[in-house]
Amino acid sequence: MGVAVQVDGLVRKFGDFIAVNEVSFEVREGEIFGFLGPNGSGKSTTIRCLCGLLLPSAGTVAVHGLDVRRHAEEIRAQIGYMPQFFSLYSDLSARQNIEFYAAMYGVPRAGLQQRMGEVCERLELGPIMERPAGNLSTGWRQRLALATSILHRPPLVFLDEPTSGVDPITRRMFWEVIDDLAQDGTTVFVTTHVMDEAEHCTRLAMMHYGRLIAQGSPDEMRSRHAKNMVEVRTGKLWDTLAVLQASDAVVEAVVFGDAIHAECHAALTNPAQTVREVLRSARISVESVAAIQPTMEDVFVSLARRYGHPEHVAAGGDG
Amino acid sequence: MRLRRMLAIARAEWIHNRRDPRSLVVIVVLPVVLLLLFGYGINYDLQHIPFAVYDLDGTEMGRSLIQQFQHSRYFSLREVITDRRRVDVLLDTEEVVFVLVVPPGLGRDLGAGRDAKVQALLNGSDTVRANVALGYIEGAILDYSTKLGIEFARHHGLSGTTPFTVHPIIFYNPGLESDNFIIPGLIVLLLAVLTALLTSTCIVRERELGSFETLVASPATALEIMLGKMLPYAVMAFADVLLCIIAGRLIFGVRVTGNISLLLAISIVFLAASLSIGILFSALARTQRVAIFLAFLGTFLPTVLLSGFVFPLRSMPAALQLISKVIPATHFLVVVRSIYLKASGMAVLWPLVLILAVFAVTLLAIAAKAFKKRI
Ligand SMILES: Nc1ncnc2c1ncn2[C@@H]1O[C@H](COP(=O)(O)OP(=O)(O)O)[C@@H](O)[C@H]1O
Ligand SMILES: [Mg+2]
Repeated sequence: MGVAVQVDGLVRKFGDFIAVNEVSFEVREGEIFGFLGPNGSGKSTTIRCLCGLLLPSAGTVAVHGLDVRRHAEEIRAQIGYMPQFFSLYSDLSARQNIEFYAAMYGVPRAGLQQRMGEVCERLELGPIMERPAGNLSTGWRQRLALATSILHRPPLVFLDEPTSGVDPITRRMFWEVIDDLAQDGTTVFVTTHVMDEAEHCTRLAMMHYGRLIAQGSPDEMRSRHAKNMVEVRTGKLWDTLAVLQASDAVVEAVVFGDAIHAECHAALTNPAQTVREVLRSARISVESVAAIQPTMEDVFVSLARRYGHPEHVAAGGDG
Repeated sequence: MRLRRMLAIARAEWIHNRRDPRSLVVIVVLPVVLLLLFGYGINYDLQHIPFAVYDLDGTEMGRSLIQQFQHSRYFSLREVITDRRRVDVLLDTEEVVFVLVVPPGLGRDLGAGRDAKVQALLNGSDTVRANVALGYIEGAILDYSTKLGIEFARHHGLSGTTPFTVHPIIFYNPGLESDNFIIPGLIVLLLAVLTALLTSTCIVRERELGSFETLVASPATALEIMLGKMLPYAVMAFADVLLCIIAGRLIFGVRVTGNISLLLAISIVFLAASLSIGILFSALARTQRVAIFLAFLGTFLPTVLLSGFVFPLRSMPAALQLISKVIPATHFLVVVRSIYLKASGMAVLWPLVLILAVFAVTLLAIAAKAFKKRI
């Protein structure tokens, strides 16, 4: 399988501030590449560099083998881009916006109505087609933006937090659409700060303060990072948390929903047993203690702890 | 370059303008208001110049001189001064432009065939008016002394003609009416400012509203985007050309003596150049406010000061004359005045049209360069 995007040593600065710091990765054709990281970690800045909207301060970016500095115009014809923030024409109706971008991307007029029908049906846009885009709620806007970005069947789409501000049902719809796109051979580059969504992706890259701190498939991420994860259910959430955080056996303990997730030292052979003993000696009664598969959020918390603030790390990066 | 993209961009811009009353103000209200304001405000015609008379002679001769002034349409007698101090008061308060002083002994000197002098005290603070008034005064005095000469000759049995007279025939603006001169200039000024204002926000607005990001990520080229955005404004500006010509005719009675179709055709070339200036500001500015401000100052001041609209180019320092040459309005002004007043045709105007076309292409290229398709 070919390489859709090749990024080497990408740096992007805003004045003195380094928003993206020596980032390297590749996106393979046909995969769903999840670009994760909390707000402000440099995801959007990276995407903009990949689309040729921002010039890299250093490093190289090649999309379908084309250098983004020299061939931005050709690259633009081959991609679809859905920005993080609403970026369509507020005073045009949904239909007019779609037609506008169909014209920009040169979607042949002959099949246009049929293609529009297809996409709008898939994203269930029917009810809002004649409404001004500016009057739509966030969920509808995101659907409309997704529709415009894929209408011209680009071989590569960049979706910047497509599911932010979207209700759970629409969120599921979006991931179905993304899966369909990948089925049809489209490469999807999607960012999110919701770690759970990472499970849908073929491969992941995790950003933290402008650095890429980990990449791999979801399974690889789980097995490499945040091993020995233990879930504790108890009536005394905060007391338990304090005890676990103070314990030597535990690397990190965080509240996760109505339970506590504790990452234990990798050297422990039976972490659940160790945690039980720690809590028993602190006289804390628990409902259950069990070793679990770490979630992607656990992975991120573990990595974030390891890398800390950028001031505290000399070098990052991890295969 | 794809027509379909440009038309789609033009359509989106058109729809935006249809919903935004601001552009309607710029297109319809502004030209009419400015035309009225400037058309009535600027008037170089000096008729009925207010003056006062201080007659120290009191003879028949002095009175007939004063009558000569009174009967001229160029002067309007405001006061006959009897107190010396009123002279200063009237000039100070600018109630009159000049005071005609008839010195004592004027009648006696003229009667005796001696040289006689009258005095004109002028308020020189408005040099234009003072100069024009002085010209008219000299003319009136000359007229009067010629008349005296003829009478004197008749009296002595000689044929009563003057040896030389100038008989001026004024071409192109026979009434020497300044409206005929000002209205064409005003049309140029209006178009220069309006076009730049119209296009100055069209790109920076998208930056501010956020739609820029998706647009720039699309394969539409800078030139396609700019031409597409200019198209609706070109239509509006063209409507303004017609509006100005009609308003000039109806309100100020100024006729186009030349070929109106030619004037309209050349306007299109000028509009292309002028709209590009607005687009350039729009591509450079980061906020709509700044863009509007730049577009207004960047077109209004040069057009007023340097295009020859108010101050004749010939009387400017060489350096300023050179600068005036890089302002499209300067050349268009010559075209408009020539067609309005001299009925000039393409045979005379083609070099100017060529210059305007070069401006249009160059400015568009500069704007496209400034518009980098990055966020
Ligand atoms: N145009 C800009 N000028 C200055 N700083 C910026 C600009 N764009 C982004 N940043 C900064 O760069 C950092 C990364 O931003 P961004 O890429 O938007 O993060 P993310 O998309 O992961 O939330 C943030 O601290 C943000 O404030
Ligand atoms: Mg972002």
